[in-house]
Amino acid sequence: MSRNVLEKLMHQLCVDRAVKQRFKEDLEGLLSRYALSEDEKAMVRNFDVAAMQKHGVNAMLTLGFWSENAPNRHPSAYMKALRGSSGQGEVFSAALKHS
Amino acid sequence: MGKMVGGFLVPHDPVMFVVPDAPPADVAKRMWGAYTTCAERLAELDATSAIIVGADHYFNFGTGCLPQYLIGTGDVDGPLDVLPGLKRQIMPTSEKLANFIAEHGYENGFDWAVARAFTVDHAVAIPDRLIVEPVRAKGQSIGTIPVYVAAGVDPFLKMKRAVQLGAEIRAAVEASPDDERVVVIGSGGISHWVGTPEMGKVNEAFDREIMDYACRGDLAGIGALSDDYILENGGNGAMEIRQWAVAMATMPGARGEIIDYAPVKEWVTGLGFVQMFA
Repeated sequence: MSRNVLEKLMHQLCVDRAVKQRFKEDLEGLLSRYALSEDEKAMVRNFDVAAMQKHGVNAMLTLGFWSENAPNRHPSAYMKALRGSSGQGEVFSAALKHS
Repeated sequence: MGKMVGGFLVPHDPVMFVVPDAPPADVAKRMWGAYTTCAERLAELDATSAIIVGADHYFNFGTGCLPQYLIGTGDVDGPLDVLPGLKRQIMPTSEKLANFIAEHGYENGFDWAVARAFTVDHAVAIPDRLIVEPVRAKGQSIGTIPVYVAAGVDPFLKMKRAVQLGAEIRAAVEASPDDERVVVIGSGGISHWVGTPEMGKVNEAFDREIMDYACRGDLAGIGALSDDYILENGGNGAMEIRQWAVAMATMPGARGEIIDYAPVKEWVTGLGFVQMFA
């Protein structure tokens, strides 16, 4: 497994409108264009930003990916996904990119 | 010949624009006011060019090309990531000096990547808009030269190389044929955790340590910090102290003065403003 291709897709899902649109409309078709492992594809499908970071994906990309594409883009939802259901700590209204 | 006439070390926190009223009102007022103070002090320096040192946030550059350090030598606009109150606009530049700095680098062991038509992100756009633009509005002609160093995306620019890069910029400015009066703005930091589980944490002790290096002009001290130390104590966002190191190295030995500082959890960052005196 390589974080490089996953970071490539994450970057495009932050900055490329056409890729973001295909993510919404044809996720499996989009994923087939990238040399991702099944585990990596699952991270994308499930918005598993915690697993992505453990995999080495840059945290600015996981935040951007979530802020641009997640069903619930609120920062608190991102932090919950990142910290897990048992995660503790304050959540602030941080967002590098506003939607 | 050109001359470094002063510098500023400032944050570029986009959250200030997204949720400007999140912190206590007095803190927010102080932080916005610190930018105004920088602008007022910049106006006193009679500068002709401002080199703004920022870092990409995985907006400008993707996995296909990750430059260690880059200079905008042509047309510049921004920000790429527009924010409430920070719309994209064309930025006045100093193309002749920017190209001279690049060429001087090539002759002296610094292989700059160049951007000949560049849309900067908020790292350069925020200080340009809040510090330089108000001075332009009063009639002074100041061209912005954007410099980007690898602080947000690995492989990171080595701290010692950041110091060397700042020294090279100074040498280039002093070798330039025109009588440029150049200000440097190191844009970044201080402690902040971006997109990580710790996001919202601020480490005031670390922030004050970094500002202390700047106030004492301690290039060796800041340049000796390891990435592990920075990440542990200042977070991934604090890797941006590279921009401070570059700026400090353009004026070796210069003392600094804190304009203001606040650990603003609501804006997820320790916001430090320092003026450096040439």
